[in-house]
Amino acid sequence: MIHVEHVTRTYGRLVAVDDVSFSVRPNEIVGFVGPNGAGKSTMLKMLSTYLEPTSGTIRVGNANIDTDPVAVRQQIGYLPGDTPLYGDMVVMDWLRFVAGAHSLTGEALGAAVTQVVDTCGVGPVIDKRIHQCSTGFRQRVGLASALIHDPPVLLLDEPTHGFDPLQVMAFRDLLHQLKQDRAILFSTHIIADVEAVSDRVLIIDHGRLLADGTLPHLCDEAGLADPSLELLFAHLVSEIGVEGV
Amino acid sequence: MSDDTPRPRLGWIDAIRLVTKRELCAYFDSPIAYIYAAVFLALSSSAFMNAFFLEAVVDMSSWFERLPYLLIVFVPAMTMRSWAEEHAQGTIEILLTLPLRSAQIVVGKYLAALAFYAMVIAGSLPIVVMLVRLGPADIGTIVAGYLGALWLGAFFLAFGQFVSSLTHNQIVAFVLAALLASLFTFSGHPQVVEIIDGLAPEWQLGSWLATSVSVLPQYESFVRGIVGLGALVYFTSMIGLFLWLTQIGLGRIRR
Repeated sequence: MIHVEHVTRTYGRLVAVDDVSFSVRPNEIVGFVGPNGAGKSTMLKMLSTYLEPTSGTIRVGNANIDTDPVAVRQQIGYLPGDTPLYGDMVVMDWLRFVAGAHSLTGEALGAAVTQVVDTCGVGPVIDKRIHQCSTGFRQRVGLASALIHDPPVLLLDEPTHGFDPLQVMAFRDLLHQLKQDRAILFSTHIIADVEAVSDRVLIIDHGRLLADGTLPHLCDEAGLADPSLELLFAHLVSEIGVEGV
Repeated sequence: MSDDTPRPRLGWIDAIRLVTKRELCAYFDSPIAYIYAAVFLALSSSAFMNAFFLEAVVDMSSWFERLPYLLIVFVPAMTMRSWAEEHAQGTIEILLTLPLRSAQIVVGKYLAALAFYAMVIAGSLPIVVMLVRLGPADIGTIVAGYLGALWLGAFFLAFGQFVSSLTHNQIVAFVLAALLASLFTFSGHPQVVEIIDGLAPEWQLGSWLATSVSVLPQYESFVRGIVGLGALVYFTSMIGLFLWLTQIGLGRIRR
């Protein structure tokens, strides 16, 4: 579903993403983990078509982001970091606007809005302006707009930011429900989120992909007794440090 | 998840209408829009009424003649938020990752601003009613004047939006757009043309600026009741140029 091949992205002389390749298949939740500034958000921005790769190829489904970015956007639901939304808009109007941009009209639009309001639990704020919503509800509104067109690919940048512990648990359940026929890639620096929901992890640091695989397999390869993402990450970073890369 | 058949893309008209509607609602959701319209109409109409009573002429040309100078401030005040706010709040990331083309978004935002401007200008129509009731007003000249006012505003809005797309800061967007508006307006003012021509008489730079760059000669033909092809070509090409530049600027965000 998502195919990333040798993608590099630079900002001037800074290399934010360095020759990264991976893929995400349908029915798979992949956790994209790394410290702040590792290149996670830049990678997701490229997958969402907001940024172009400096080099390399990205395909979502059969569409290439260089040649047909609109076709890529039709297939993705994207929740950017910090959930930028139009604060003055009423939640319902915002959802209808996004649904309209995805060519939903009439009954289909109404049904899609009802579905995401129910799925994401935004009913209590549906008639409020977005700036009146709490951070948690804003995040849910962002997620609802990412899901409104029932996309086969979900890209979520720090999706549990602003959630309380109960909301985090509910979100993890929701991700499992959404996994059916979908490829889900979410970035986070919260290890517990990744361990709880990911089928596979991608570990990135300083723009370079350090590991790609299931947590038990990667820990096994690294010779770690416990399948702990925290230990694995520390191990990989120290290994890179020793090699002087 | 539904089947894998991709949903048809929005057509150009539907996409532009969608963006225009959202933007127009954003204008009217803010009290600033109403304050803006009230202040503009109060200033433009009071200046006109003063001249009207002093000169006692059933003519609207003095209202139209003052318009470019008022728009130097009022149009940048309208356009300063259009893209700068999207940059500052990060909503541009959401907007540019919807399945819309950047040209559709640019045109949609522009048409919303133009529609709002047209509504504000339409607020001066009671003056026309008053003139018609008071005496034999030249309706043809008035209609041409309104057409000129629309083209003039459409041009100022185009470069105002372009400037707003270059920055995250609304104040910077306002100041730059006001400077550009001043350049396009004052470069056609007779006294300014005379001064610039006087600096280097052999170059006749002031006259060249007035005929080739300034909006005033083009606009003033409408105020005199002439809807000339040259003015239409000038306005449409300048509007097209600045909308295209705005789209190019958006493309640069991705690189």
